[in-house]
Amino acid sequence: MRWLRRNLVGIVAIAVLVYLFIPIAVIMVLSFNKPAGKYNLKFDEFSLEAWANLCGVPGVCSSFVTSIQIGIVSTIVATLLGTMIAFALVRYRFRGRSTTNLLIFLPMATPEVVMGASLLALFLNLRFPLGQITVIIAHIMFIISFVVVTVKARLQGMDPRLEEAARDLYANPRAVFRYVTFPLVLPGILGAALLGFSLSFDDFIISFFNAGTLVTFPIYIWGAAQRGIPVQVNALATIVFLVALVIVLTAQYVNHRKRRALDNPTPIAADAALPRS
Amino acid sequence: MPVRLTRRSVLGSAALGGLGLTVAACGAASTTSELPSGAPTTDPEAERVVRFSNWPAYIDQAEGDEPTTLDDFRASSGIEVVYTEDINDGSEFLAKVQSPLEQGRDIDRDIVVLSEETAQQFIERGFVAPLDYALIPNAVNLLPRLAAASFDPDRRYTLPWQSGFTGMGWNTALLQERMGVDRLDSLDQFFDPRLAGRVSVLSETMDTMGLMLAWAGFDPSSFTDEEFDSTLLLLQQQVDSGQIRQVTGNDYIGGLDSGDLIAVFGWSGDVLALGEGYGFGLPESGGLVWADSMLIPVVSPNQASAASLMNFYYDPSVAARLAAWIQYVCPVQGAQEAMLDVDPELVEDPWIFPPDEVLDACYVTQALSSERTGLLDRAFDRVVST
Amino acid sequence: MVAVVPTSGVSGAPAPVAQRSSRTGYLLLFPGIAWLAVFFAIPFVTLFLTSLQQPVPGKSGRYMFGLQFSNYSDALAEYWPLFLRSFLYAGIATLLALAIAYPLAYFIAFRAGRWRSLMLVLVIAPSFASFLLRTYAWKTILSDEGFITSTLNALHLLPEGRILNTGIAVVAGLTYNFLPFMILPLYAALEKIDPRLIEAAGDLYASPITAFRKVTWPLSLPGVVAGTLLTFIPAMGDYINAALLGSTGNRMIGNAIQINFIQFRDYPTASALSFVLMAGILVLVFTYIRRAGTEDLV
Repeated sequence: MRWLRRNLVGIVAIAVLVYLFIPIAVIMVLSFNKPAGKYNLKFDEFSLEAWANLCGVPGVCSSFVTSIQIGIVSTIVATLLGTMIAFALVRYRFRGRSTTNLLIFLPMATPEVVMGASLLALFLNLRFPLGQITVIIAHIMFIISFVVVTVKARLQGMDPRLEEAARDLYANPRAVFRYVTFPLVLPGILGAALLGFSLSFDDFIISFFNAGTLVTFPIYIWGAAQRGIPVQVNALATIVFLVALVIVLTAQYVNHRKRRALDNPTPIAADAALPRS
Repeated sequence: MPVRLTRRSVLGSAALGGLGLTVAACGAASTTSELPSGAPTTDPEAERVVRFSNWPAYIDQAEGDEPTTLDDFRASSGIEVVYTEDINDGSEFLAKVQSPLEQGRDIDRDIVVLSEETAQQFIERGFVAPLDYALIPNAVNLLPRLAAASFDPDRRYTLPWQSGFTGMGWNTALLQERMGVDRLDSLDQFFDPRLAGRVSVLSETMDTMGLMLAWAGFDPSSFTDEEFDSTLLLLQQQVDSGQIRQVTGNDYIGGLDSGDLIAVFGWSGDVLALGEGYGFGLPESGGLVWADSMLIPVVSPNQASAASLMNFYYDPSVAARLAAWIQYVCPVQGAQEAMLDVDPELVEDPWIFPPDEVLDACYVTQALSSERTGLLDRAFDRVVST
Repeated sequence: MVAVVPTSGVSGAPAPVAQRSSRTGYLLLFPGIAWLAVFFAIPFVTLFLTSLQQPVPGKSGRYMFGLQFSNYSDALAEYWPLFLRSFLYAGIATLLALAIAYPLAYFIAFRAGRWRSLMLVLVIAPSFASFLLRTYAWKTILSDEGFITSTLNALHLLPEGRILNTGIAVVAGLTYNFLPFMILPLYAALEKIDPRLIEAAGDLYASPITAFRKVTWPLSLPGVVAGTLLTFIPAMGDYINAALLGSTGNRMIGNAIQINFIQFRDYPTASALSFVLMAGILVLVFTYIRRAGTEDLV
């Protein structure tokens, strides 16, 4: 009883973690399914068929590639723009700071359906053709804020004495940036990029409104789900999940070792995932 | 007019170029096609492609090494087919493509398959290219009963892809457990309290309301607003009492399979494809028969290729193979004979080659103006969504 | 906007390099801010204009510029129950998420030791698997013939005899999907608390409960505020959970916006609903931030 009381928080914590992973387990299990009928609806028989033939269903792989392309382009642009804003916010004085803050905060406080709808209204009014470009535009727009917040947190958490020391050693501003500031902020930027990519890759609502006839991976899933999601989708989702997990764990490990050297208190996972703290 | 770049690749590279980025991988790869990677972007035969949009699970799929009908079309014609299953709802698809079509821009689709109602809206808006029957000699195989449609009396714009029935589907074991019967014959059974919370109706207004109108004693092929409204009240009762669990699109299939739904309003081929353990039937008060149409957007740059694809699917033996897989009503004359070689068991299948008495007992729902459709859709949605 | 970023550095750390005022600052800001202005702010203006459009006479489905304020009253008259329901569902989901997330965040912050980073990774990891697929997975898990529902039914615990396609399922889906957004800010706030403060409370003979109430909880409030907002806002506008896990009677306001935009192509109504939703959320957010007294959100 005493043991229970002492460890209650831990038990609840583990239970919550397990709860978080229940649907993931279902997704993974179904990726090894061999559906009895024409629809992949429940587990019938173990099979590696989907894994051996990932593109076996028309449209799965092309939508997957589309989403990866969109994710890469949006992430690069948004990370660049967002990082610049973060530097400006932390390092420079300028007028209109509260308007700027508002403009960064609002996209995070706007429900996706409203953002998707308002952009669609804009594109319709401008008679701008919907497709890959409009989806990328939309993704960049909603990722920027998350990048700003993540990178800003990193910049603010940086020990300024490191830069001062460099200056004391007569490093010019360019060298200070290149050899001190940038390497220190980099984990934050990478974390932000990872977050940005996962937001873009997984986005359904905003994309659905602005994609026209373009089919991204989530849009494909939405459509295919009407008659049972193909096993291949589960296999691909499992791959994405594992790859992302490996990337984060590796980054964590590298960061951990660096942290010992630099005594930096922010783990990268928190960088990636703590947009607003 | 040689098209040097596919439109999509131009868009893709423009997007990247405009952003001042060079991501080499993105320019060349086509985004929705199944083209082998590394396919040249400067294909002088770029117009030898058909971009085909269809409903999910509405075409045969590869089983082992057997080529699909699409594979055969690719092989015999040398035309590449980009097949996308992205139509889940007619209005939704119209909403997606309406504005480019109004502006005369390509929508990346050369053939789309739409329900009668949506096809009508496309035709009314002038979005559809007239068919060039010189390129579709097989069109003579169209079943006579489908030769005219209310929205397209001379089949100037559309050819049926598949025809089918709207009726009731059920999970036989669970039906037996709850009701002690192994089939449903009427909507009175469908709305039996023993099935409370385990039945679904369709989100397409006229599919659900067509069955309901017939049940209420009205004629779904010709009804007044008052009749519609009073039938809607019957539906309202079933929603309010909790009898109806869900209003579904194609996803009732999942519900039937998992057992969450015991009986559904559904479409013949979908339910039949579930196989053993499930049943499909038409209510005594009358089922609905319909035909989904293939049409070519007027903006399509590949109309000739699209026409040859239509021609291909009007070949009786191809039609038989398709019908054997998806189990909808085959619109092609001669397919029944051809079925002997494909799957002899299906030659007499009443759901693929329905006898006249089955067809006679069914209604074709009334063609409505866009405006009236809009009003009825809203009224229907109000009942099922609040 | 209330929130103002501290003008120099973070508390605790020595003040960083004096902020420079130069063209560089504006140059750094410009591209990103321009992007947000063009693709976020301007769409709001068009959304507002669209919400006031009137139908073109004689052409159904076409709209033109107008000042049709009745679009708002009509939309609200028809859809106010959905606003109310969304508020209710999102509110319950937020409270549930808080109750579930707090112990986990607390454990990670104070007890996890060297497992801390790994546990944080595990918290965000589920987000790497598609949001839609996870929601479909819940559909499988909560199925009528599934283990959970049949067990609860055997115990006669389900008033409707099912979970799937009820309000319970929708709230459960919302809670699950936005849970990481609750855990992480909570963790960030808890992690900043000096454990010695809690120990000190113990030394002064405060019971663990009193110590929690008087020390831990108040100090974690910024995280609670951030977490509840981050959960509530997306939950309020969501329509996927209601569409997949709900029934006819569980639609939320997001569903109404979606159906009016995409299915009915009634852009004015959809825009009016979006605008009201957005305005409502902003009012809630700012009142809440004021009340909770945390202004450092951005």
